[in-house]
Amino acid sequence: MNRLTKVLSQNKENNIKSLVAYLVAGDPCEESTLELLNGFALSGVDVIEVGVPFSDPIAEGPIIQSAHDRSLKNGTNLKKILKIIKSFRKSNSHTPIVLMGYINGFLANQSEFSNFSQHGVDGVLIVDVPGEYSLSDIGFQNDSILSVSLISPTTSKERVSDICNASSGFIYYITLRGVTGANKINVNEIHENLLTIKQSTDLPVLAGFGIKTKEDATEISKLADGVIIGSQVVEMIKNSASNKDFKKIYNYLKEIKHSINL
Amino acid sequence: MSSNYEKNLPNQEGYFGEYGGKYVPETLMLALSELESTYLSVKGDLDFQKEIDKDLSSFVGRPSPLYFAERLTKKYQGPKIWLKREDLNHTGAHKINNTVGQIILAKMMGKSRIIAETGAGQHGVATATVAARLGLDCHIYMGAEDVQRQSLNVYRIKLLGAKVHPVDSGTSTLKDALNEAIRDWVTNVDDTYYIIGSVTGPHPYPMIVRDFNAIVGRELIEQANNNFGKNPDAIIACVGGGSNAIGIFHPFIDKDEVELIGVEAGGEGIKSGKHAAPLNDGKPGILHGAKSYLMQDADGQVMSTSSISAGLDYPGVGPEHSYLKDVGRAKYLAVTDQEVMKAFHELSELEGIIPALETAHAFAVLPEVCSKMDSSQNIVLNVSGRGDKDISSVASIEGINLE
Repeated sequence: MNRLTKVLSQNKENNIKSLVAYLVAGDPCEESTLELLNGFALSGVDVIEVGVPFSDPIAEGPIIQSAHDRSLKNGTNLKKILKIIKSFRKSNSHTPIVLMGYINGFLANQSEFSNFSQHGVDGVLIVDVPGEYSLSDIGFQNDSILSVSLISPTTSKERVSDICNASSGFIYYITLRGVTGANKINVNEIHENLLTIKQSTDLPVLAGFGIKTKEDATEISKLADGVIIGSQVVEMIKNSASNKDFKKIYNYLKEIKHSINL
Repeated sequence: MSSNYEKNLPNQEGYFGEYGGKYVPETLMLALSELESTYLSVKGDLDFQKEIDKDLSSFVGRPSPLYFAERLTKKYQGPKIWLKREDLNHTGAHKINNTVGQIILAKMMGKSRIIAETGAGQHGVATATVAARLGLDCHIYMGAEDVQRQSLNVYRIKLLGAKVHPVDSGTSTLKDALNEAIRDWVTNVDDTYYIIGSVTGPHPYPMIVRDFNAIVGRELIEQANNNFGKNPDAIIACVGGGSNAIGIFHPFIDKDEVELIGVEAGGEGIKSGKHAAPLNDGKPGILHGAKSYLMQDADGQVMSTSSISAGLDYPGVGPEHSYLKDVGRAKYLAVTDQEVMKAFHELSELEGIIPALETAHAFAVLPEVCSKMDSSQNIVLNVSGRGDKDISSVASIEGINLE
């Protein structure tokens, strides 16, 4: 069984809410990314989303945009990211990794697709490909890689079921109309939409975009199978970049994991 | 040649051959399908067409004339050279043809807020103009570098009551303005209509912007017939995103005898790598919602571009142009900044028309094109915009102090 499916379904069976944390590979540098992956896993993070930097990340707010810029300045590319993940797998064989990026960056490196699973990647989320397309529709022939799709508050009911049918990893519910890191969560709407999605699929449904505090996370996790934290973590990584002391981030993640499972 | 060309594109999924599509964040999918269904439901409607035609004639000043450029013709001793005068439109360029149409769609969809990106500022002005008429809240995204080099248009946009948001992420030019406009749209999608200014972006925009600009080519069919009794032998237009070019090309695509020539911004020369000519020196990729030729590196990162003209300084191009290139129905040349400056002065001095720097690109291929044609033939250049906005940049390029 795919590592991603295994972790998320075990958590669901045991009534544990999952925590997904995001970072941009290569920010602030390659070595730090490896350290952070290990640190996340030890802090109770169930799934790690590894951002593949792109020059024009249209779904990202300013915090994650500048992380993409910093990473690209360091010369990060998909090949190097796969190497980092391979090194991570030497010490960790249980934490699933989902690559999250934009289609042009993946298509330009199409020859790497077949190496994804042997390097330890478990899933892929392509932000700018509509969810009703499966990975093979866009030339991504690799059965051992799962597809994670986005559903937003504006997704129509008909498309919700199409998207669920084309997904295999989990459903990423976008909690707001906006870019990553925005500040407009409407809890009632989120609950209503999560219910609709759950009627269409047995896949785990996790929620993210704009979740920052323990309170947000606790509230959202009442109905979702877990939460995804991105901008807040990326901002903390930036603030710790000078001394490479990431303890604060690990403590923050531990607290979130704790608070969604109270 | 027409046998290679499929008619009635894009197809239902928004593709021109392999190009186009809808590659956007999920939050925008609903807005795109609402726009598509609104447009398709009114496209053939006579009242809708009447409303547009009324604005085009009484507000924009259409039809734009077809003018015989006698001294240019004499200089090149080849075909007769005709100019389609989009520079005479209200606001000074072809961009208003599209905004007049899209603002009606915005109104039908009940949107109260308008956003747009702009490079040279012409689309920003054209958008602010139509938003002002309807009293709609209007926000224009413009690269910080372009805000500098097109300061006159920035001020015009402000005078029209719209807000200009300088964008200093990425390369601070048109592509970054598009990124920021898309981010605004994702955030405010419920009440906001995004008026894209070129035949770029996700489906249905390349189709809608083309259809609204095709009035230029439709008028030309009649004007050519009145003036020289047949279709032109060649039509030449500059290509950034490619809206003025598609507008004048489109009604002629199935007329095989008409050669279609697009001219891209060659910047400091194709070999230098410092240019904005994806059809000449790019490869297919996906940016801003559509698959098309794109200037990108081996990892698919979008490259920074270089052009003397802000309006052509864009690493991508409309998907229909990529299709026309691949099937061989249109050809795409590139000219350098230096050649553009020469053409800019030539048109000003020989014909009394100061063109936009974007437009001057089309004129820079005259030496090459005219040398292969004779006096029995007719060519038409699209004068997509006038040069008022560029006067201070041209002066500064040439070391002249206007203070």
